[in-house]
Amino acid sequence: MDYALEAKDLNINYEETTVLWDVTFQVPSGVMIGVLGPNGAGKSTLLKAALGLIKPLSGKISVLGRSFHEVRKKVAYVPQRKSIDWDFPITAEEAVLMGRYGRLGFLGRIRKADREAAELALDLVGMTSFAKRQISQLSGGQQQRLFLARALLQNPDVFLLDEPFTGVDLATEKAIMTLLRNQRAMGKTILIVHHDLPTVEEYFDWALLLNIRLIDCGPVSQVFHRQNLMNAFGKGQVLFSEAVDLSAKKMSGLL
Amino acid sequence: MSFLDFFTDPVLRGPTWGTLLMCISSSLMGVVLFFKKRILLGESLSHATYPGVVAGVSFFAFFFPAHEEWTFVAVLGGAFISSLLGLKAIEWMEQKGKVRSDAALCFVLAVFFGIGTVGASAMQLAIPVWYQQVQILLFGQAATMSDSHIILYAVLSSAVVLFITCSFRPLQALLFDRDFAKSAGIPVLFLEKMVFWLLLFSIVLGIRSVGVVLMSGMVIAPVIAARQFTHQLRMVFFLSACFGALSGLLGNILSVIGSSYFSFQETLTLPTGPMIILVSASFALFSLLFAPHRGWIFRLSRMVFFRLRCLQENILKALWRNGSLSFLDLRKAHAISSFSFRLALFGLSQEGWIEKKGGLFSLTKDGIQKAESVVRLHRLWELYLARALGFEGDRIHRNAEEMEHILTPELERQLTVLLANPTADPHNQPIPQKERGL
Repeated sequence: MDYALEAKDLNINYEETTVLWDVTFQVPSGVMIGVLGPNGAGKSTLLKAALGLIKPLSGKISVLGRSFHEVRKKVAYVPQRKSIDWDFPITAEEAVLMGRYGRLGFLGRIRKADREAAELALDLVGMTSFAKRQISQLSGGQQQRLFLARALLQNPDVFLLDEPFTGVDLATEKAIMTLLRNQRAMGKTILIVHHDLPTVEEYFDWALLLNIRLIDCGPVSQVFHRQNLMNAFGKGQVLFSEAVDLSAKKMSGLL
Repeated sequence: MSFLDFFTDPVLRGPTWGTLLMCISSSLMGVVLFFKKRILLGESLSHATYPGVVAGVSFFAFFFPAHEEWTFVAVLGGAFISSLLGLKAIEWMEQKGKVRSDAALCFVLAVFFGIGTVGASAMQLAIPVWYQQVQILLFGQAATMSDSHIILYAVLSSAVVLFITCSFRPLQALLFDRDFAKSAGIPVLFLEKMVFWLLLFSIVLGIRSVGVVLMSGMVIAPVIAARQFTHQLRMVFFLSACFGALSGLLGNILSVIGSSYFSFQETLTLPTGPMIILVSASFALFSLLFAPHRGWIFRLSRMVFFRLRCLQENILKALWRNGSLSFLDLRKAHAISSFSFRLALFGLSQEGWIEKKGGLFSLTKDGIQKAESVVRLHRLWELYLARALGFEGDRIHRNAEEMEHILTPELERQLTVLLANPTADPHNQPIPQKERGL
């Protein structure tokens, strides 16, 4: 069976990205998995590596059993909200339609079918009345829902979401979770970079604990316990990160 | 000399059409750079052409002195190569050298332009005749452009327009959210290569008309002006091209008319390049000041109106607390000019929130409702700060004094739900309820 996401001896160690050190794990299809770890643990880096946005130094990471480029039409990525310039001149509707741009190519036309699908996606996230709004006029929660609508429009098998609940009010967070659970019920895999530990057991059936190295990856009931959390978030990590940091500098000739 | 002559006269049409078309291409490329947050790249790349121009002309002077009419090939080739080197130097410094982007841009600008200047002053002594060729490229010389320039710039601007219309949607995705665009399979790297090539061509060809030093103005100014007027990327492109074309046209006309007007003084001419830049800069300045919604005047007036509203809401609160007050009593609590205070009171009575009887101000029925909604927001916010965020003491009140004017109905609804429709604030004062009979 192909795993939804699989990393083998993954090392990322250069330039400005966070370091990842010898990460190996397998995530089966059809689970809702939370990627947990402190700031700078390399959660976003892991996502970007899976998307082929960052090249690993060694090892590999594959999606649905293949390299990302072969399966990218089956994967939707939701970047961190703060990585975007929300003053960009574009309406909510247009931003959602971008979910179809991957199939468009050059000179590609937006078909009626694409537009109706976009309307439906906006409806699913409860944003129909904001379709014509400038994205700069949306609240944090609305912007996040917009991104989710864009991902839905891609109709993927795997969702990769980077901190979708940052700056989002509780009601929106619950609404997003309901939507994602429905997607999981359809057999889709949903991976969420998450930093709110109290909600982990409620939201996820799998967890991936990361702090530069992989701490543990498996069903929440087996992974989400005190010892693992200590390893991921505790102070014992400090020496390790320092050594890894030194190594990164050596590798790029700074030391 | 009529207006139409500028487009048809064999001598005048070269500069007119040439600058107009050149400005269209550079102002369109400016839009792309603006949203990529790389607008200064134009500045660095145009200055980086200078050493290439100097080297190209010197090369010609030494090896083919008999073929002066072909110098432009050397100029374009040299400019292109040195600008490309500048681009590569910037990329290299940013990616490998970990130099900050603005530092890399400035460094390349200064170093390349410096090298060019040294080379030019060496030429001035060695081959003074050829030095003139370089000198005109520093600030451009649109006035001597011919029909061949029209064709050149027409091809360039058509290429730019074609590229942007054909790849509008992928380009939009790239400019909005590069990582997403890449992950969705949009050919991001190809698009970026195209952008840089077209930018390079626009700049290298553009220096003939507005010059090395001023070229970047034609990249930057039109998009700044255009951005103020619209919320649609398509319109930003369109308006930027319009502003660019108009600057080229007007700058050119002003230069011709102005120069003939001042012709009694032989020393005074109005060169085309600088005039074009002045016109486009005026467009940008005008837009920044007066554009609806985003312009400075509008933002200033919005600020003034907001202040006035805050003052009015504070007056309503004071009247709500004290029943009726005289002008002087009301005025005491607010350290603000008498004029704005009278204005605020006038507005309040005009809109039917307060009335004046026998020298005393008091709230109308609707005014009471209005004041209570302000008080409600104030106390809701206080409760939120105390309960949800653990604020204590005086800070609660001070923060709420500000937020009561800011909270939207949407936020109020969320607060009400979050705090389970509370009835008392942290100081145990009642929170007025929203639903009441009129």
